[in-house]
Amino acid sequence: MKRLRNFAQALAATCLALSVAPAFADKANDTLKVAFTGEINNVDSYFNTTRGGVVLQRAIWDGLVHRDTATGEYVGNLATSWEWIDDTTLEFKLREGVVFHDGSPFTADDVVGTVEFIANPDSGVVTQRFVSWLAGAEKIDDLTVRLNLAEVFPSALEYLSGPISIYPSDYYAEVGPDGMGLKPIGTGPYRVESVKPGESYLLKKNEDYFDGPKGSPDIGTIDIRTIPDVNTQIAELFTGNINVAWRLPSDLAQKLDGTPGVMVTSASSIRVGFLMMDSAGRTGDTPLTDVRVRQAINHAINRQEMVDSLLKGGSKVVNTPCFPEQFGCVQEYVEYQYDPEKAKALLAEAGYDDGLSIEIYAFSNQDYVEAVAGYLSQVGITLDIKMLKFPAVLDKMMNDAAPMVFMSSGSWSLNDVSAIISEFFKHGAVDFARDDEILEWLDVADTAVDPEVRKEYYGKAIMKITEQAYWAPMFSYNTFYAFTDDVDYTPTNDEILHFVNMKWK
Amino acid sequence: MINFVLRRLGLALLVSLTVSFLSFMLIFLSGDPAVAIAGEGASMADIEAVRSQYGFDRPILVQYFAWLGQAVQGNFGNSYYFNLPVTDLVADRLSVTVKLGLCGMGFALITAIPLGVIAAMRPNSIVDRTALLFSVVGQAIPSFWFGLILIVVFAVQLRWLPASGTDSWKNFVMPTIVLGYYAMPAIMRLTRAGMLDVLNSDFIRTARAKGSSELRVMFKHGLRNAIIPVVSLAAVQMGFMLGGSIVVESIFALNGAGYLAWESIARNDLPTVQALILIFSMFYIVFTLIADVLNACLDPRMRSS
Amino acid sequence: MTQTVTNPTGAAFDRDPLLEQILGPTPGQMLRRRVLGHQGLLIGGAVIALLALMAIFAPLIAPHDPFAQSLMNRMEPPVFLGGSWEHPLGTDHLGRDYLSRLIYGARVSLLIGVVAAVISGVIGTTMGVAAGYFGGRVDAVVTFLINVRLAMPVVLVALAVVAILGGSLTVVTTVVGLLLWDRFAVVMRASTRQVRAREYVAAARAVGASTPRILLTEIMPNIANNLIVVVTLEMAHAILIEAALSFLGLGVQPPTPSWGLMVSEGKTMMLFEPWLVLIPGAVLFTLVLAINLMGDGLRDVTAPENRN
Repeated sequence: MKRLRNFAQALAATCLALSVAPAFADKANDTLKVAFTGEINNVDSYFNTTRGGVVLQRAIWDGLVHRDTATGEYVGNLATSWEWIDDTTLEFKLREGVVFHDGSPFTADDVVGTVEFIANPDSGVVTQRFVSWLAGAEKIDDLTVRLNLAEVFPSALEYLSGPISIYPSDYYAEVGPDGMGLKPIGTGPYRVESVKPGESYLLKKNEDYFDGPKGSPDIGTIDIRTIPDVNTQIAELFTGNINVAWRLPSDLAQKLDGTPGVMVTSASSIRVGFLMMDSAGRTGDTPLTDVRVRQAINHAINRQEMVDSLLKGGSKVVNTPCFPEQFGCVQEYVEYQYDPEKAKALLAEAGYDDGLSIEIYAFSNQDYVEAVAGYLSQVGITLDIKMLKFPAVLDKMMNDAAPMVFMSSGSWSLNDVSAIISEFFKHGAVDFARDDEILEWLDVADTAVDPEVRKEYYGKAIMKITEQAYWAPMFSYNTFYAFTDDVDYTPTNDEILHFVNMKWK
Repeated sequence: MINFVLRRLGLALLVSLTVSFLSFMLIFLSGDPAVAIAGEGASMADIEAVRSQYGFDRPILVQYFAWLGQAVQGNFGNSYYFNLPVTDLVADRLSVTVKLGLCGMGFALITAIPLGVIAAMRPNSIVDRTALLFSVVGQAIPSFWFGLILIVVFAVQLRWLPASGTDSWKNFVMPTIVLGYYAMPAIMRLTRAGMLDVLNSDFIRTARAKGSSELRVMFKHGLRNAIIPVVSLAAVQMGFMLGGSIVVESIFALNGAGYLAWESIARNDLPTVQALILIFSMFYIVFTLIADVLNACLDPRMRSS
Repeated sequence: MTQTVTNPTGAAFDRDPLLEQILGPTPGQMLRRRVLGHQGLLIGGAVIALLALMAIFAPLIAPHDPFAQSLMNRMEPPVFLGGSWEHPLGTDHLGRDYLSRLIYGARVSLLIGVVAAVISGVIGTTMGVAAGYFGGRVDAVVTFLINVRLAMPVVLVALAVVAILGGSLTVVTTVVGLLLWDRFAVVMRASTRQVRAREYVAAARAVGASTPRILLTEIMPNIANNLIVVVTLEMAHAILIEAALSFLGLGVQPPTPSWGLMVSEGKTMMLFEPWLVLIPGAVLFTLVLAINLMGDGLRDVTAPENRN
């Protein structure tokens, strides 16, 4: 009996020790542990479209130019200067002395090799919209290179500062995208130690990183694990098994704030949420072809209340089909105030006094969709919610089977409205409006060299989109980050974790 | 005996073939694979590029036989999502699932058999009723809910165990309990019923009359006879468990085959889903085949037709 | 369990514990189970009756509209955690009354349980009775189909199908119903074989009764007891699968108040507001437990032929 009691005491003591002993061992061994929610299909940035993929891209590779997130200015990165030779030719002087992670020197050949590869449609780059404006590249000398554009493309620098990074051309030619995904090599602040596809990624500080505009890496090891469930991430954060969790739900972030050892910050994001409505009648006979119904839906949703209670943080109500601070997102629009009575009146006028029922498809933000359904039910519109996975929703959209969709777009972190308005209103498969006039204006805006002309035509499009209530623009998002309190980092508004700027406190 | 084994083997093969065709067809009904391959956030141009690259245009039957021909050689094609061989991807994850399955079954057996024996020794006692209650609860408790409760208590409140991952044995404790508890009730009930049967039989009474100790009666004579059907039930349950680990793996973020299956369904990753349904089915088919042959060896009545 | 009915393939499903228990428990077991079972039957029956009444009279009982949201009153705690009697079980992430959603949720679970059990019951019983009565080729085909069905992982296949067709109450119920017929077929096949061998069936055949007549008047009444037991247990099974599918996000669609969906929606806040997960999970658990208790009880009280 006594022995039993001793054993019990020992057990209790062990448990107690286990429960209070802090597991924050990471600062000591200079390893930052990060949780990603989604799996990345291929680390090669031209072959994935995930957020996590963008984070890795910025850590492993560099682009020719860099956009300062604070000032919005473009500065040289792998290039030191550039010059427009004509409307479709851009010449770069390259930085000297840069080496790839495998020790090979960075030269004009790498730029030419990368650009020629991604510009070729046969290469099968999945992020076509980032590269289709490129026709090719030619080497002038070892440190001078010219990019040839396929068309006049005013936002070239924006794309070159973001999604387009330079790969070591010989190595890439040898291993291809799959090999690059498993053993990535770049010039970036972090080199890849190991990749377990879909599971984990281990990065080490690039000791030879050049003194560029991104800054220099501080933390020695970045250990990224895929943890799909956000609660599990939080549980791991509590126990110090991870240091960084991001894109957290707002409620959770709010509750986490104030937990000892955990620090929560948020950054407003360029991501905009909106309802797409089948105004063109592609799904057949739908009430949504009536502009009054679409306007009624716009009036019926209390977006401010959603922002205040659901999204929180730096989110804002948005009245345009783009993020207000994006280039070209002219803030002249028709505004729809929250006014359920007016919505009812509009519906009555359209002949729907008895109410109507519409299917809505969505793949994320179930709570927002449910809230929208709640508001619409107040004015007599019943939403039949279909939560599907993303591919299934896109499939419905492309096959004209979705009368209404709740969607969000982060413009791929591009600070230019062509990444959102032109994507959705140029008669592509996901264009629900199919407005010829808007198409014409966007064609002008997308290819005009003069920024003022671009703004003018995007502005026309925005005015018509809001006037016709083709969409119900909802709000901008806001990214919540949680760190263990030994991490020093200020998040940016591009929904990207910049490891290079993270430090230990 | 040989005859029986051959017949049983033939049936297993036929079942495998049917299952393979069904899983192939099932997944083929799904949406546009090009969309799935291009991934979330892809633009229209991206998707077109993918579609032209892969070309999903052959007749379904042709695709099935081509796929089956490769599959029997262990080649399930490349995952649409990762663009890596499905076989490599699955092999990697399957080890986690099998490990989990074995742990779960081990847990179920070491709790169920003693409980079943004790319950049978003292029928209708408090112990028996408690064991029965335990099994009734096990049958009724939703495993996703049970798993969440364990996480809240043991990972967050007490901080004894990690909530996710596969780094050490500690990661497997909670998933093992959840999965094992799912298989436990059936095994416990069968053990108890078997023991009761055997204990009421003549030879046990003879053994008792001869003055064998109660423990000896229980284990030497009783359990040895009662355990045969339990073993074959365990084999069958093991097949079910592997297929059912999908919920447990998703809760504890165990990077196993079940979790891969769930994710692959979400991303329309057809080759991976096809391979996994087939593999999980094959597990069941092989386990039951072994159980049946085993039983036939032990119990001649099973062989007769 | 000594009376296992053998079949040409000696298939493993013949050792399903339920089958063993239905077909051949010993008298001692029977007696004990009857005693225990009556308790279980009473408790289980009472709980089910209560939940069924709750489901039927949901509009009268529920204090609020289960769909009425109030974003200003989100995640208010239940009254026993410091909340108000306005929302006795608190509100969910959209400010909807949790108690009302629970009450309406009983409708979803019970509906899915009953309808899925009927669908699978019709399929499985037809197959099982045909196999057991006719034997030979019919039996071989049914045995084969049962084997195929058992080999397919239920949750995985259900997930895949729902992902393709899109989740809704109808789709989920149908898919679950189409997948869960195996136990009906197994048990009905074995029961029919047992009954078929009895004298009165032979007698009926001897006097020239037609096959449908024998099936309806001689076989069915004598296997009905076993059927009822399987129906209850498969109801519980269907309810659990629906909850699991909804939990994994591929079940019934929001804002339908399904208990599995409620657990799933509450899961995000599980670490801070555990009651959001605990309450719907506990109710789900109670219902399934009650159905299982009733099933066990029914098994003990009925099946007189098997009492030797």
